[in-house]
Amino acid sequence: MNKSMLGIIDSTMVHAGLEELTLHRSAAAIPFGGRYRLIDFVLSNMVNSGIQSVAIFPKLQYRSLMDHLGSGRNWDLNRKRDGLFFFPSPSLNKSVTDPGSLEHFAEHIDFFNRSTQEYVVIANANTVYNMDLVPLLDWHIESGCDITEVRKDGASLGIYLVKKTTLLELLDSREESGYLSMRDAANDLRSQYKLCYYNYDGYAVTIDSIDKYYAVSMNLLRPEIWKQLFLKERPILTKVKDEPPARYSKTAAVHNSMVANGGEIEGTVENSIISRGVKIGKGAVVKNCIIMQKSQIGENCVVENLIMDKEVKIEAGVKVTASPEAPEVIRKGTIKGARATT
Amino acid sequence: MLLAGGQGSRLNSLTHNIAKPAVPFGGKYRIIDFPLSNCTNSGIYTVGVLTQYQPLILNTYIGIGSAWDLDRKDGGVTVLPPYTASSEVKWYTGTASAIFQNLNYLHQYDPEYVLILSGDHIYKMNYEWMLNYHAEKGADVSISVIEVPWEEASRFGIMNTDADMNVVEFDEKPENPKSNLASMGIYIFKWKVLEEYLLKDEANPTSSHDFGKDIIPRMLEEGKKLVAYPYKGYWKDVGTVHSLWEANMDLLDEQCELNLFDQSWRIYSVNPNQPPQYISPEAQLSESLINEGCTIEGDVNRTVVFQGATISKGAVVSESVIMPDAIIGKDCLIDKVIVAPGTIVPDGSVLKSSGDILLVSDDTLAELLAH
Repeated sequence: MNKSMLGIIDSTMVHAGLEELTLHRSAAAIPFGGRYRLIDFVLSNMVNSGIQSVAIFPKLQYRSLMDHLGSGRNWDLNRKRDGLFFFPSPSLNKSVTDPGSLEHFAEHIDFFNRSTQEYVVIANANTVYNMDLVPLLDWHIESGCDITEVRKDGASLGIYLVKKTTLLELLDSREESGYLSMRDAANDLRSQYKLCYYNYDGYAVTIDSIDKYYAVSMNLLRPEIWKQLFLKERPILTKVKDEPPARYSKTAAVHNSMVANGGEIEGTVENSIISRGVKIGKGAVVKNCIIMQKSQIGENCVVENLIMDKEVKIEAGVKVTASPEAPEVIRKGTIKGARATT
Repeated sequence: MLLAGGQGSRLNSLTHNIAKPAVPFGGKYRIIDFPLSNCTNSGIYTVGVLTQYQPLILNTYIGIGSAWDLDRKDGGVTVLPPYTASSEVKWYTGTASAIFQNLNYLHQYDPEYVLILSGDHIYKMNYEWMLNYHAEKGADVSISVIEVPWEEASRFGIMNTDADMNVVEFDEKPENPKSNLASMGIYIFKWKVLEEYLLKDEANPTSSHDFGKDIIPRMLEEGKKLVAYPYKGYWKDVGTVHSLWEANMDLLDEQCELNLFDQSWRIYSVNPNQPPQYISPEAQLSESLINEGCTIEGDVNRTVVFQGATISKGAVVSESVIMPDAIIGKDCLIDKVIVAPGTIVPDGSVLKSSGDILLVSDDTLAELLAH
């Protein structure tokens, strides 16, 4: 029996709560953990579970996502057979209301028809977790389920497993059933299918608001959490950049932080996530911040409780702080000068 | 043509299982990343890598060359090991014999010029500039040279030149050097001239088949045009434990000419794809280079730490090189030491160099700790 799985990454949802970070990118492409994008987690989970064919269904603002994924080489998905597929919606400008992901899948029905895998795992692109999907498949088969939803503490993680034939039926009958998404199909009490709920007890959080983004990022500083996410045998893969190792000067003082390569740290950093290629000047103090790629903090700056998007520049001596209860997002490319008001 | 077959025996246990060009350097690189990145950055996309000694890790590392953007439809990187000819197995007995045995590879491309490199040095160089110089001078061979301190000149192959940089004499490790221009082991040949001399050299039973000892002197003798190409910048032979340590320490110097952060001349390498480094609340860091996948809980000062290494609580590490996946136990004291890949240094160990730089590996650990 062919027990192989097809991976579907459903990135069609728009999360209003993430607006500040998704002005120029989809939620899937939000930078996370110093060197990752949110989609790296689901994509690596699929690849590490032996899935060799992954289709991504993006919606709106997918340029940065495509740039990140490229040919799929970093996930070993640049294959002659199968590999990585990218299916933007052909009806991008058609409807004002959200037609739902099943509609979007149906627009690419040929892909499903042509795929040889017997099972399909469908997952969102904005959950932070490191999960082996093989036990889920085994459980689904043993339990004789038709549609399995993965849950944590009773709440859906937006991960579904079905037979491909079942998915094709769902797509075919979507007008009669009224289902817009897999969530509808998995939660219809009058369903003709056997619906199951698989409980996942590892670390997993779906990021759908700035607060959650900040909290989960800060969780990375707890060794008991990052040890559940970053495993040698199931690595989270991402687009590699040829950055040199991070460099610390004589004046650097860094505590309780994650620092990615290419950083040049000359100031004080505490409880923060420092992404690739970030520069922190002498005498600067960075506390409780998430600093994304290539941002620069000038000498003697003070920054606290911020989520600093990519390529932000804080000029020397400037102080920018927010309250710890409401971390503030500094938009991509912002320059904060001495005379500029915040 | 990148000569990467060297054993590097003076690097002791670092090269027991790997060829010298595969020795880790600078927190995330291997030595061979420097010449390979120089090739890509100079627009050279057809590179033969000649391997012989312990090639497994080196071959795996090079793969199809994608890390250096050398996975090409036309050209790209080709690993060239010694092979069995119809009559006998022909080992590479010298640098020239290695190239001679791959004349077929060169014929395949029939180039105008051939660049010969070694996989033993740390430097950044634009080979295109050297090629332009070579073509302008109309040389048969150009040899890249660097000024070395006069007191060290007798350790190198020294080029004596006239005012136009024509090489008039070549002294291999001279007792009384007449010049301080040392050969860097980088040559650009006219392909036809190279072929002619390789064939002549192979036919000479007394030759040691070495570029420096045989080919270059013979070309001089026969009145070919040899030109020295003066290189300025950082260049270091990392052939000994001490020089390898020194070159790593050089990177920590803010004035260092070898800038790894220069985006216009990146040094590429096979990226390990590990999570960012974790710096714990009690860690102390200064003047160090630290790669991804590390866990730092101790005190790290003037040290280069490679991917996946751990410095445990209470450990104090200074002026050292901690290679991939090594673990420094709690409360260790490590001073001026190179810790080989994967070495596990037990809690409370004290390892300090006095004079020579200590190289700590699984083989030598027990003995070193007994002292």
